[in-house]
Amino acid sequence: MPEPFHPVPIPPTGPAPAPPGLRPDRAPSEPEAAPPAADLPPAGPDEVALLIDGRPAVVKKGTTVLEAAAQVGLIIPHYCYHPGLSVAGNCRMCLVEIEKMPKLQIGCATSAAQGMIVRTRTERVRATRTGIQEFLLINHPLDCPICDQAGECRLQQYEADYGKGYSRFDEEKVHFPKRYAIGRNVMFDAERCIKCTRCIRFCDEISRTGELTLLERGDHTIVGTFPGRPLDNLYSGNTVDICPVGALTWKPFRFKARVWFLRNVPSVCAGCARGCNVDLAEYRNRIHRMTPRVNMDVNRYWMCDEGRMSHAALDDRPRFEGPLLRAACATGPLQPAAWEEALDRAADLLREVADGSGRNALAGIVSARLSVEDLYMAKKVLGEAIGIPRLAVPPHESGEDDDLLIRRDRTPNARGAALIGLGAPDVRRVREILQDAASGRVRGLVVVGEDIMEAGIVAAEALDRLQALVVIDWWKSPTVDLAHVALPACGYGEFDGTLVNFEGRAQRARAAVRPRGEAEPVWRVLRDLGRRFGLGGEYATASGVFDEAAAVLPPIAGLSYRVLGSLGALVKGA
Amino acid sequence: MAFEPILLRNIAKPGSETIGSYLASGGYQGLRRVLKEFAPEAFVEEVKASGLRGRGGAGFPTGAKWGFLPKATDRPRYLCVNADESEPGTFKDRLLIEKDPHLVLEGIVLSAYAIRSGTAFFYIRGEFHEGARIFSRALEEARSGGFLGKNILGSGFNLEVIIYRGAGAYICGEETALLESLEGKRGLPRLKPPFPAVVGLYGCPTIINNVETLANVTLIAERGAAWYAGIGRPPKNTGPKLFCLSGHVKRPGVYEAALGVPLMELIHEYALGMMHPDRPLKAVVPGGSSMKILPASKCDVLMDFDSLAAAGTMLGSAGGFVMDSSTCIVDALLNIARFYAHESCGQCTPCREGTGWFVKVLRRLEHGEGRPGDVDLLLDVARKVEGNTICPFGEAIAWPVQSYVEEFREEFDDHVARRACPLARMAAS
Repeated sequence: MPEPFHPVPIPPTGPAPAPPGLRPDRAPSEPEAAPPAADLPPAGPDEVALLIDGRPAVVKKGTTVLEAAAQVGLIIPHYCYHPGLSVAGNCRMCLVEIEKMPKLQIGCATSAAQGMIVRTRTERVRATRTGIQEFLLINHPLDCPICDQAGECRLQQYEADYGKGYSRFDEEKVHFPKRYAIGRNVMFDAERCIKCTRCIRFCDEISRTGELTLLERGDHTIVGTFPGRPLDNLYSGNTVDICPVGALTWKPFRFKARVWFLRNVPSVCAGCARGCNVDLAEYRNRIHRMTPRVNMDVNRYWMCDEGRMSHAALDDRPRFEGPLLRAACATGPLQPAAWEEALDRAADLLREVADGSGRNALAGIVSARLSVEDLYMAKKVLGEAIGIPRLAVPPHESGEDDDLLIRRDRTPNARGAALIGLGAPDVRRVREILQDAASGRVRGLVVVGEDIMEAGIVAAEALDRLQALVVIDWWKSPTVDLAHVALPACGYGEFDGTLVNFEGRAQRARAAVRPRGEAEPVWRVLRDLGRRFGLGGEYATASGVFDEAAAVLPPIAGLSYRVLGSLGALVKGA
Repeated sequence: MAFEPILLRNIAKPGSETIGSYLASGGYQGLRRVLKEFAPEAFVEEVKASGLRGRGGAGFPTGAKWGFLPKATDRPRYLCVNADESEPGTFKDRLLIEKDPHLVLEGIVLSAYAIRSGTAFFYIRGEFHEGARIFSRALEEARSGGFLGKNILGSGFNLEVIIYRGAGAYICGEETALLESLEGKRGLPRLKPPFPAVVGLYGCPTIINNVETLANVTLIAERGAAWYAGIGRPPKNTGPKLFCLSGHVKRPGVYEAALGVPLMELIHEYALGMMHPDRPLKAVVPGGSSMKILPASKCDVLMDFDSLAAAGTMLGSAGGFVMDSSTCIVDALLNIARFYAHESCGQCTPCREGTGWFVKVLRRLEHGEGRPGDVDLLLDVARKVEGNTICPFGEAIAWPVQSYVEEFREEFDDHVARRACPLARMAAS
């Protein structure tokens, strides 16, 4: 599914990287005279040189013809080939002509050889592709108008490129189950399936859960599960992504939006310390789906189901549209307020604590789920401008690291928090602050991006003695309900920022939707609070904040949004 | 009809499947001779010199196939016996397995010795209950006789033979699907290369030979390559051959003759002529259902690999079926197409989709619902299948479609024009 209109980019294995998103070549037929072998460029000891449609290619030994073609900018159409899976060779769409071989050969399984002359655009190859298209469609339901894959379907794409435009098949089609819930989150339409076995190979080779198999034979062949074992693994959504047609669909996305209306925003998942690269698909200011974006250094082609569904919180959790203030009486209800009024109140409350009980009576809890920009401003404003002596970062851990993507550390920016100087997430320090709040030693607390009521870290009564509880968060958490001042922040998908994953790769998360109500990015809320404590500087944009952080923090020196690009960059010492 | 049976010399004897009967007729003497006189490589050369070509269908020279094994490998080599005889019209291996299992087994031990394999797998078609039982008993007999197991006939050569019964899929006769099935997986043909001689069973170098091929190896061991090479039409079509005849002949059955026997001699002398003398011969499929058809006018042909190739078809598994003038060619093709649609493994696109399409069009034609263009459509679909599939199954249906239509175009067109099968009433009577 995240293969909008173009094949999966093939990871570069040779000198020239594959231009991503190249459309299959439409040229009908360009017979080319066999170029003399002298035209072949020299190849190194571990390399072979070949000609593909007259283009010289030098590739590593063992590279397939399909991959070699990609390296010189020729995408050979294919369904079953996927660069992250073993070769199946069953769709036959990548058949090409190779000189001295009488039969057409599949590019996905044929190794490039020294002096090989490959032709991918001859009339014979084109006619074969037309034939394969016809075969794939004779038993296909052609229900594109109600198919979620429509618009990013390879059957549609290649039919436009190579199809006859009409059908010679005037028989009853083979019928299969449609709308079959093959797993908790995956729906299967067996009539749309082209039996490429990508999903089967994913479950065998990547998730290593083996739920799927082929059943039956001939044109009754169908993908199925074993009795009592549905497609329920932690990575099942990837089968939907790599399904080249509309056979597997992601239940939460079914019928939510036509894909051509979606705007894909490249971002990074914030569900754990891996930082899988993703696309956030926005339509009408709503994120409708999250799909993995290829980053060979982080997540390759995959992401986990939990991450894939993490965007839903933005719509499912209760929000507060504007700043909230507790009325004059400390036990009164929270009431809406203007930003200026709320920020003034927050500043006043914190100052009262500092003046009455000293700065040591102030503490802050900031989240490793926040971006580098947010945390930098937290350090700058809470730590320096206001002078809060103790800032703690709570850990969020669950289960164990698995051997694919999922990290036990469920915070996306723990390394970022550490390199800013906030220390690694440490539950002991958080508990100390909360115990001091209960005992009355801490009387003013700023909580940014954390729900300290979560998981019973602290009881509501423990916060009763606080004179000032200022909460900055994106949702109306139980902690917000206890706040004296609550300031609405952008949630995931609403802000631009940088996250540093567990390997030390700084990557950009990006805004895909406008913030809800009057919510602001955390760094901006902190900036505006900081202004009330004498904070200077401009701090106009997230990238500006990052640039200043990069100027003062050696681990990210030299980095900028431009340098991070779409695939991120390693911080120093990573 | 003067051919003295060699492969079938024992089958008429009572108890021919027992080791006693086999030894009494000189069995296992060839093995004794080879183990004593030949190094494995020397015996490979001997088989090469005999000119033996595989009897499973492709007719590839057996000795040359053995020679494809990597010379140096630290992995075990396996011999797989293809006893998954499933080609419609073919029933020769079954006869050997049931009536003379030791002739086959001796060939297995010899071949395993030649390729230095310590384990052979006997992959037998699931429906061959009787064959599996008989062969299993033959293994026990051979083991107690010292012809199998450890230190065979004191030579120091060890061999175990394991019987594996298939589960009923035609495709498992394709050698790489056979390997998958043997490994306990779904029987889907593998992509080639790598070929089984390099990466075969469990990833190890593997040779797959047909039952009849192995029985011929026994003959070569017994009497030498020179003798063997003198049978048939040397140099490229040597040895005795089992021919299966079925259809409209008086006496269908398995007949042994030298390669190169005339087809008409097989029909008229071996099978005693046409079933109905008043109905002339219409066509013969000489090599099993997957091979191209020969109309009567082309049936003056010699039954060997190269003569049939020159006639535009193939010897295949030598499963010949004979059709007389009462046969509707469209119906015959429909029958074959239904078989292939049912047996296509479904793995690759052209075969999976094309086989079903053939059936749907042919069924309409035969039932009088043909449309102009249908016949050309059949040809075009066959062209799209041929050469574009993972395994030869694609050709196994594309070739019949092409040749039946090409040779009997008028009959196909007639079905469309009359909107009926011209022979339907005759066939029903």
